[in-house]
Amino acid sequence: MSAPNSLRCLARPSTSNAVSASLSLSFSGLRIGAAAPFSTTSARDSSIAKKSVNREPAAPYRAGKKLKIGKFKKNKVVERGKAPLPGERKAYRKKIVLTNDNALPVKWVQEMGPNHLQDVNNVGKVVSLPDAVQDQLRISEAFQPSQSWKMFRKPSTLIREETVQMVSKMEKAVGNKKTARLVLAGDKLTGKSLLLLQAQAHAYLNGWIVIHVPDAQELTTACTEYAPIPDTNPVQYMQQNYVLKLLQSIKKANEKVLSKIFTVSSHPELPQNIPVNSPLLALINAAKEAEGAWSVFHALWQELTAQNANRPPILFTLDGLAHIMRISDYRSPAFELIHSHDLSFVRTFVEALQGKTNFPNGGAVIAATSRSNAPRAPSMELAISQRIAEQEKNPEVPKSDPYFKGYDERVESSLKTVEVLKVKGVSRPEARSVMEYWAASGLLRATVDEHQVTEKWVLSGGGVLGEMERAALLTMRI
Amino acid sequence: MASAANALRLCLRTTSQTQSLRAPASAVVASTSRSFSATPAQCGKNYIDRLRKRRKNKEHGQNEVEYEYEQNFNNPGEYFDYVARESQKEYPKVSKEEVKLAETLRGDWDALQQDQRYELGQRRKTISAQAADLRRPVKAKRDSFWNEEEQDSEYITEEIGEDDFEEDDIMAMGHGKLEEHREFREYARIAVWEMPLLAQFAKKFEPPAQDQVLRFRYTSYMGEFHPADRKVVVEFCPTDIQGLTQVQREKLMKLAGPRYNPEKKVIKMSCERFEHQAQNKRYLGDLVQKMIEAAKDPTDTFADIPLDTRHHKFTVKPKFPKEWYLTPERKAQLEAERKEMMRIDQTKRLNGALVDGVLAIEAAKAAGMEAEAVMIPRGQAPPGRR
Repeated sequence: MSAPNSLRCLARPSTSNAVSASLSLSFSGLRIGAAAPFSTTSARDSSIAKKSVNREPAAPYRAGKKLKIGKFKKNKVVERGKAPLPGERKAYRKKIVLTNDNALPVKWVQEMGPNHLQDVNNVGKVVSLPDAVQDQLRISEAFQPSQSWKMFRKPSTLIREETVQMVSKMEKAVGNKKTARLVLAGDKLTGKSLLLLQAQAHAYLNGWIVIHVPDAQELTTACTEYAPIPDTNPVQYMQQNYVLKLLQSIKKANEKVLSKIFTVSSHPELPQNIPVNSPLLALINAAKEAEGAWSVFHALWQELTAQNANRPPILFTLDGLAHIMRISDYRSPAFELIHSHDLSFVRTFVEALQGKTNFPNGGAVIAATSRSNAPRAPSMELAISQRIAEQEKNPEVPKSDPYFKGYDERVESSLKTVEVLKVKGVSRPEARSVMEYWAASGLLRATVDEHQVTEKWVLSGGGVLGEMERAALLTMRI
Repeated sequence: MASAANALRLCLRTTSQTQSLRAPASAVVASTSRSFSATPAQCGKNYIDRLRKRRKNKEHGQNEVEYEYEQNFNNPGEYFDYVARESQKEYPKVSKEEVKLAETLRGDWDALQQDQRYELGQRRKTISAQAADLRRPVKAKRDSFWNEEEQDSEYITEEIGEDDFEEDDIMAMGHGKLEEHREFREYARIAVWEMPLLAQFAKKFEPPAQDQVLRFRYTSYMGEFHPADRKVVVEFCPTDIQGLTQVQREKLMKLAGPRYNPEKKVIKMSCERFEHQAQNKRYLGDLVQKMIEAAKDPTDTFADIPLDTRHHKFTVKPKFPKEWYLTPERKAQLEAERKEMMRIDQTKRLNGALVDGVLAIEAAKAAGMEAEAVMIPRGQAPPGRR
C-alpha cells in the first residue's frame, strides 16, 4: 500500500506520474528490503501491505444492530435478529387490512348499490362495500392505512349529507354530459379522503372509468424519476415510472370497462402498433416498461377524451391538492425549480380541474385537500376561501394581501371556476347511526343512546368523524 | 474642633520645613501666619534659578552639591531686610515684583511701634509652638491593620452610649405612629380646607367640536425637569377631517405610513425634536396641515398603491357568542330537545332497536359457543378474510 508511496520519495525529482509508476513497478520485487532504508515507517507499512494480501475476503456488510456486552469482553456480541429488507418497513407501514374476524358482523348493514349514494333518503345509513368494489378500491389505493378499516368485519361507510351532495353533483353533470369539478375542503379528520373513496365506489358501481392519484405528494416531492418531454415549449416533464404504475392500477381496477371500449385513432408514436378499434385494455398493455409509459398514457388520455366516441363517464380524483398547487422540488437542467403545473401528468389533472378538458360523456374531477400533510399553498387557500364566499353569496369575498409575495398566478387561475364542497362534522343523527354500527360490531362497549351520542359528538368538536373515532373507538375502555 | 484644627494646619503649612510649592509672594504681609520665604514664588522661576546656579558652578569648575537652604523670619522686618539685601546681588533670589512690593510695604512696617512689632513676633512663636504637634507628619504604622489605631478626627458624633434609652421618652415605634398620625391630619386638613377651593377652578367638559379633530397629549412631570416633558403626541382620525374625498382620505392614510393604525383607523404622530413643548406642538400642527394639503394634491392620488398594513398586527379578541347566552327561550329550546331525545330513546328501547355494545358482544359470545365447533386448518385463512 504505502511502499509505492515511499518509493515515490525516490522519484521526486521527476514530476511525471509515468516515471513513478514505472519505478513502483520495477521496485515491486524489492519492496520490503529496498524501502526500509529510506523511510522510518516503511517496515511497518510493508507488513500491513503483506497482511492485506493474505487477508480473507471481507465479510459481507451486515446491517442490523449488535449489542456489545461488557467493557472488555470484546468478542461477545449479541445479535438482535435480521434487519428488515429494503422496502419491508414501507410495505408494513402501507399495509391495508380490511377485515377483522374478531369484530361482529352487523346484520342490518346493506351492501352499497349503484344508486345508494345519490339518494337523500339514505343519509345517515351505513352501507358496506361490495367485494368487487373493495378489490378495485384497493388497487387504486383509495384505502389509507390511517383509516380504521382494520377494526371492522367488513369495510362499510356512512352515507352522509356531503356524500349525497357530491354524488348528485357528479350524476347531474354526467346527465348533462359535462364535468363536475369539485374541491373537497374542510378541517382535519372530517373525512375528505373518505368522500373521495365514496365517489370512487359510486363510479365503479356505475361503470365509470376511475383514475385515482392516491397521494399527490409522490408527484412533486422529487421522489420519482422525471425527464423533459421533447418538442415542448415551455418544457414539460414526464414521470414515466409513476405513470407506468398508475397505468397498471388503472388497467387492473377498470379491466371490465376498458375491455368494452375501443380506440378511435391509431397511435403511431407508441412502441407497439395498436390498430384502430382495438380495446383500450390492449392500449394500456402496450406499456410494459417505464420507457414509453408516458406516450401510452398520453394516447389513453386522448382516447378517453376523444369527442363523439362512445365513452363511459370518467372520474379523475386526486388526494392532497396542496402538493400540486406549488412549485415542485424538481429542477430543470438550468437548476431552476420546476412549477408543478409543468409536470405533464399534473398538468393533465389541473387542466381537467380547470375545465379545459372535455369528457365526451361527462364525468367528474375531484380533488381533496389534506390537512395533515400539506405544504403551504397560500394561493390555493385563498382561492378556496374565495370560492366558498362566492357560493354562499357572501358580499365580502376574501382578497389577496397586496404585500404578500407567496401567491401563484397559475394556481389562482387553475382554481378560478371550481366548486368547493365544504366538509364539516356529521350531524347528530349521522353520528348516532355510525355509533350504532360501532356498537353492533362490538367495538363500542356502551349503550348508544342520545346521551352517549351527544357526548361523543361534542367531544369531537361538532361531529368531526376522525375525532369521534378517537373519542369512542381508539381509546381503551374495557 | 477638627475643622478649626484643619484650618490652622492649612494656615501653617506655608511655614513648614519641606516647602515645595509656594503661594505667590503678593499675598505676603496680610497674614501673620504667612511665611517669609526666600525662595522665589513660582516653580518655573525656581527651576530656572537652579539651572542658572548649576551653570555657574560648572563655569567655576566647582563640584558642589546643590544646597537650597530655607530661611525663617521672625517678623516682616527681617524679610524686608532680606529682600533689600538680595536685590543688591548680581543674581538675586527674589523677583523684581517681590522687591517692589516689599518696598511699598516697608512703610507700613516702619510705622508700627516697637512693642507692636514685638507682640507680633511673640504671637507667631506661640502659634508655631502650639501647632507643632499638628504639623508633625503622621507616619503610617507598619504592622497596623487598616490603620485601626488612628483616631478619626472627622467623626461627627460620640458613638459610645448614643443609642441608650434613658427611660425619658416613648419608643421609636411610638414616634413613628405619631408621625403617621400627623400626616393623616395634614391631609385631612388639606381635604377640608383647601380642596373645596379647587372647585372654583372647575371647567365644564365640552366635547370637541366638529372641526377640532386633533387630539394632543402632553407629558408633565409636575414641574420637574425631564427630557421627555417636551414630547407632544397628536392623534386624529382621517375620516373626521372635513372636505376630503374618499380618494384623498386614503391618500392621507398612505402618507401616514406605519403611523396609521388600521384597526382603530387613527393616525398617531409624535414630536420631541425641539426644546419646548409649544414648538413641538406647532411642528405637529404644521405637519398635519402639510399632510392634508398633500392629500388634496391631485397630481398623484396614490390610487394604484394599496394601503400597507404590514406594520400592524391585528388582534382578534374572541367574545362570548350571543347564541350561547342561556336566555329563557334558549332554555326552553334545550328542554324540548332533551325531551325529544328521551322520547327517541324510549321508543327505540320499546321497539328493541336500541343498540348496546356489551349486549351485542354477549349475544355473539353465546352464539359463538355453538359455532365454535368449526375447525380451521392450520395455515389457512378463515373464509371471508381479505
